[in-house]
Amino acid sequence: MDPEQVDEFVMGYLKKKGFNSAAKQLQEALHHNNGGTFNSTDYHNDPELTKLIRSFSQSENDPTRYRDGYSKLRSWAYNSLDLYKHELLRVMYPVFIHCYMDLVGKGHTQEARSFFNSFRRDHEMIHLRDLQKLEGVLVPSHLEEMEFARSLRQSKVNIKICQYSYDLLLQYLHRTESTLMLGIINEHINFQVYSGQPNSSSDDIDAVTIVGSFQETADHVNQKEIQWGLLEDSLEDRLEKTGSLLSDSEKGQGESKDGDIDDSKKRSNEIGKQGSSLKKLKKDKAGNATAKVARQETSIVSPAPRVKPELALPVMSTDVEESILEDLRNRVQLSSVAMPSVSFYTFVNTHNGLNCASISHDGSLVAGGFSDSSIKVWDMAKIGQAGSGALQGESDTNDQNVGPNGRRNYTLLLGHSGPVYSATFSPPGDFVLSSSADTTIRLWSTQLNANLVCYKGHNYPVWDVQFSPFGHYFASCSHDRTARIWSMDRVQPLRIMAGHLSDVDCVQWHPNCNYIATGSSDKTVRLWDVQTGECVRIFIGHRSMVLSLAMSPDGRYMASGDEDGTIMMWDLSTARCITPLMGHNSCVWSLSYSGEGSLLASGSADCTVKLWDVTSSTKLTKAEEKNGNSNRLRSLRTFPTKSTPVHALRFSRRNLLFAAGALAKPAS
Amino acid sequence: MSIVPKETIEVIAQSIGITNLSPEAALMLAPDVEYRVREIMQEAIKCMRHSKRTTLTASDVDGALNLRNLEPIYGFGSGGPIRFRKAIGHRDLFYTDDREVDFKDVIEAPLPKAPLDTEIVCHWLAIEGVQPAIPENAPLEVIRAPAENQIYQQKDGPLIDIRLPVKHVLSKELQLYFQKIAELTMSKSNPSLFKEALVSLASDSGLHPLVPYFTNFIADEVSRGLNDFLLLFNLMHVVRSLLQNPHIHIEPYLHQLMPSVVTCLVSRKLGNRFADNHWDLRDFTANLVALICKRFGNTYVTLQSRLTKTLVNALLDPKKALTQHYGAIQGLAALGHNVVRLLVLSNLEPYLSLLEPELDAEKQKNQMKSYEAWRVYGALLRAAGLCIHDRLKIFPNLPSPSPSLLNKGKGKVINTEPNKRKLSVDSSENRSPRKRLIATDGSDGGPSPMQVDRPTGDANPPQNSVHPSSSEQASGGNAPESRNAKENQGSKGRTITRKAILDQIWKDDLDSGRLLVKLHQLYGDRILPFIPSTEMSLFL
Repeated sequence: MDPEQVDEFVMGYLKKKGFNSAAKQLQEALHHNNGGTFNSTDYHNDPELTKLIRSFSQSENDPTRYRDGYSKLRSWAYNSLDLYKHELLRVMYPVFIHCYMDLVGKGHTQEARSFFNSFRRDHEMIHLRDLQKLEGVLVPSHLEEMEFARSLRQSKVNIKICQYSYDLLLQYLHRTESTLMLGIINEHINFQVYSGQPNSSSDDIDAVTIVGSFQETADHVNQKEIQWGLLEDSLEDRLEKTGSLLSDSEKGQGESKDGDIDDSKKRSNEIGKQGSSLKKLKKDKAGNATAKVARQETSIVSPAPRVKPELALPVMSTDVEESILEDLRNRVQLSSVAMPSVSFYTFVNTHNGLNCASISHDGSLVAGGFSDSSIKVWDMAKIGQAGSGALQGESDTNDQNVGPNGRRNYTLLLGHSGPVYSATFSPPGDFVLSSSADTTIRLWSTQLNANLVCYKGHNYPVWDVQFSPFGHYFASCSHDRTARIWSMDRVQPLRIMAGHLSDVDCVQWHPNCNYIATGSSDKTVRLWDVQTGECVRIFIGHRSMVLSLAMSPDGRYMASGDEDGTIMMWDLSTARCITPLMGHNSCVWSLSYSGEGSLLASGSADCTVKLWDVTSSTKLTKAEEKNGNSNRLRSLRTFPTKSTPVHALRFSRRNLLFAAGALAKPAS
Repeated sequence: MSIVPKETIEVIAQSIGITNLSPEAALMLAPDVEYRVREIMQEAIKCMRHSKRTTLTASDVDGALNLRNLEPIYGFGSGGPIRFRKAIGHRDLFYTDDREVDFKDVIEAPLPKAPLDTEIVCHWLAIEGVQPAIPENAPLEVIRAPAENQIYQQKDGPLIDIRLPVKHVLSKELQLYFQKIAELTMSKSNPSLFKEALVSLASDSGLHPLVPYFTNFIADEVSRGLNDFLLLFNLMHVVRSLLQNPHIHIEPYLHQLMPSVVTCLVSRKLGNRFADNHWDLRDFTANLVALICKRFGNTYVTLQSRLTKTLVNALLDPKKALTQHYGAIQGLAALGHNVVRLLVLSNLEPYLSLLEPELDAEKQKNQMKSYEAWRVYGALLRAAGLCIHDRLKIFPNLPSPSPSLLNKGKGKVINTEPNKRKLSVDSSENRSPRKRLIATDGSDGGPSPMQVDRPTGDANPPQNSVHPSSSEQASGGNAPESRNAKENQGSKGRTITRKAILDQIWKDDLDSGRLLVKLHQLYGDRILPFIPSTEMSLFL
């Protein structure tokens, strides 16, 4: 009698409350030696309840109960009122996976599999990746072993639900006496009940179930303050000041002309297409006055705050500084009406071996990392000259790169002993860093064409490596779930960022060098403070592994692209997703912001480069508060390539977009 | 349960030398095997993603094994895909066909050709937001309807900048290209260069902006140059090349193109000189029409019906010239056998009766007219013949008839032979029940190689007894034709019996049998070459 009474006590209490505090209360009650008279009378006076308790104890181990209970709950939820339906359906997924794991945990492999297969279709749309992971779990020991399953079992899921839906759900569970479902819901779901009308179903991003405790830490972490502004005394800063000085157009024109000649001599970064760049420059000049006004306007509207660097930054030589300033001054102003030109580098004859491509900041150097451990660097300026040397009237078409190496027109860098997964150029283009499956990162000099340093520290393949915007420092990330900060002169990492729950797949520096962002297979993006090594932001919302990241030049926004083709734009200060940009239907390999941050370019495995208008999407979010359903995202242009997945994108400082990819043979 | 059956576990255990694996152990192992395999595949997918690929390769699995600190699989890559063989005696047991490779063979094999070295090609994907039409870029989509744009803009409100429809600008290169092609088409003086031009038209990408100009050009020139045979022929070649070009979306311009093409098919007069072989042009155009119908029939449902309507009208109008009839017949014939059966054969009898006087050399004194009539007759014959040939091919292969039955049939045949010409459909049907067996047996036809299947279709064997005046046409026909004819003559006795048998054979319920008899009635021996005959081989 006594255990039955305990059961009954639990039931009675849960019926009333349905909260997780129930367990605590139960314990208390047990200590109080089984409660007072109120409980026993309740028990005696409620024959239904006794029946219920009996059935519960009898069928404890019957696996079909899960299926019955779940399918009843499911059909009830699907038949509920449309207004509350989407809220009730959110409950289904956690119930589903926990039913499955309970079945597996009790050893009913057969039933678990059939249960899983009959209902998986409901959740495939949103939770496909998780389902694929869980599908393989068949015996209890797997539950213990698999990290994902363990974390699911141990933590609760937060679900926001309105008061009425919550009442509906509880009433249903009462009426049908589905104690099992009630138990699961109690054990694994944490309801955040709010009064008022249910949210519109479009607000689904928040509804994606997250591990509860994790959510709390994320919320907690996201409270921290970050300085997302640009660096004090940065080149952009200086440019804005000088820009106002040069307001008289006469002077500006003369100087930019000089600069133009200089530029074409020094670095033919527009690769023998001077004509077009000249044209562009002219056009730029024409629009210079208006652009300047516009810039001043924007700077009034949203002045990016200036912050102090936390790292000791390398000193830039005046030459380099000058040329960068020159580039910035001659930058084409891009907007939704002024589209950039896109120059595409196609790798041919790669035999499926190209793992990554990287383009230097001025677009003149292109590096490819191959699965045969090699890195190849092309100097596009020289190739362009060889092609159109006569056109440019330059006598010294130097063959030194082409001749002695036996007609090879690239520099071969050999040193790694595993597939090369990433390569990055230092801002002036004098160094290349590469990361490989052999767990090392290597530094190469493009002038000497030789390996300088080998950085060992990661324990597993290094997926990505990125130079900081000022050079010298670089960040790497690996299968070992860490991201690390290095400086060129030390073979040991300076900082190790640990916290991701799965592989760290991509890394990106914040423009002010104080933060790095990492994207991971655990479907989150994190922002880390470089100085302290702490995680300062967690961005939750992606539904599959994050493959690419980009920071807006003003440091306020970040874009991340995932395996499914979704691009999300985040506000760094609030850690909220501004807008998901849907349009690609395959992996987004690469993202890049234009120089002034008005356009976002994305390159994808679906063989397209897309341009997105970022300014409109950020503006609209403010308006969106009022009218919820406006079309937020705006794809400006889609440039299909013939059959070349786009591996890398880079806006040059003058806002010419470079893209690179390996030609894939059509499937036929 | 697990998707790995326990039998698989047992087989694998045997293959690595564990013979005493208990069934329970195998059953326990199966779910774990599935779990491990899934685990490795998930890691492999990670490797694939980081290699920026979307197809999983064996090296990705090796990488995944590496990640798990497992030994990768060593072996000699065969290059080809792995083949699974069915184990004999088991319903669903498979094994990989893993041959042993001799080291010597591998070492002594000649080195494979060195693969081409990796290179970078640079091109403009877009210039100030507009994709240039160069071969490196994907072909442009069909120019969008502006209305769609308009709606989009209105919906989005004032935030969206409104752009006027882009003016259609042709690059200098494209203009030159168009001029050159037009010149070549008009000049007719340089056939080899014109051929090159056609190849370019059929293969170059980036020509799409020129398509409206070409369609205009063709329509203009066809209406203006009906007297210029060579020009017309050239124009049709241009149309054909445009259709062949995979980078061109010609669909929106079809309605402009079709009238010109049909004109070249059924116009009364094409070219003004006697020497102009306008028959060839009509044949060529007929094929073109069929090509168009095949490619765009799905998207434009009414295309074929409208076309056939035009053609049938042309054919059935007795006032139209014979040349027009010829074109219509060829066009219909090219559209396929079903079209012929439905539209031509149903009108065959009245039409032939109309044609009869023209064919008769005595009545028709004008040699030109007579020649034309014979051309038409040939085209009809070919259309009908190909149709029936196709019908017969449909029948499934049946075992060959027993000799006794056949003999019986043959006896019968010889008896009926004299009055065979008067055989009507009805009379042949009367006898059907008795001969059903033979009928079905013989109706098979593994399509034996046809004796005559000439594309131009002026089959007109000289041994024809009904129309002795045909000799001049036969001489007009070329060598293989006349040889065939002779062969027919030589085996005349054979053909007679064959013919008779056929008459009986096709008394099948199937209308094709009836059809054949009817055709035979109308055409006499001339239809025979189109009939695939197995019984013939039996006789030989």
